[in-house]
Amino acid sequence: MNLNMFDNIDGLVLRERENNLRRPTDSRPEYNGEMSPFPASTPLAMAYVPFQSWGDTMSPEEALDCGTLFSDLVFPFQEGGARR
Amino acid sequence: MNPQSLLMKKIMQYDFTLKELNLYLDTHPNCRRALAMFQKFRKLREDAVREYNEKFGPITPEQNINAQRWQWVDAPFPWEV
Repeated sequence: MNLNMFDNIDGLVLRERENNLRRPTDSRPEYNGEMSPFPASTPLAMAYVPFQSWGDTMSPEEALDCGTLFSDLVFPFQEGGARR
Repeated sequence: MNPQSLLMKKIMQYDFTLKELNLYLDTHPNCRRALAMFQKFRKLREDAVREYNEKFGPITPEQNINAQRWQWVDAPFPWEV
């Protein structure tokens, strides 16, 4: 188990406070690529899915083969899988 | 792969791309790049389906464009493919 992630706990707490202080005026996300992929407020013990932003897309041929159109989402789980 | 299967595969690829863009646009309804791409592939799919209907018959019953014959019955059943 990697415990290094807790080394900079003060920095984490500080960032957490900053994040909580920022109040979004509009809950609808902006799509300018500058927004954080995470919600402005991230309470502890909750799981968060990063908000997707536009990136590279593949050809329809590759997309069907990879199971996604978006290059950022290509995660081939080949170990123990049935694929090829 | 024969020409019919190749064209069907092309349509499946367009369908998948459109579904992916559909899901992306559900959470990013103002993304112009996704909207433009959706329009592009919607047109490509439409053309591919028309070509398939003309050459090989309907994929779904409402695509039966032959006035002489109900070609829908000529296609193999799913378990015959």
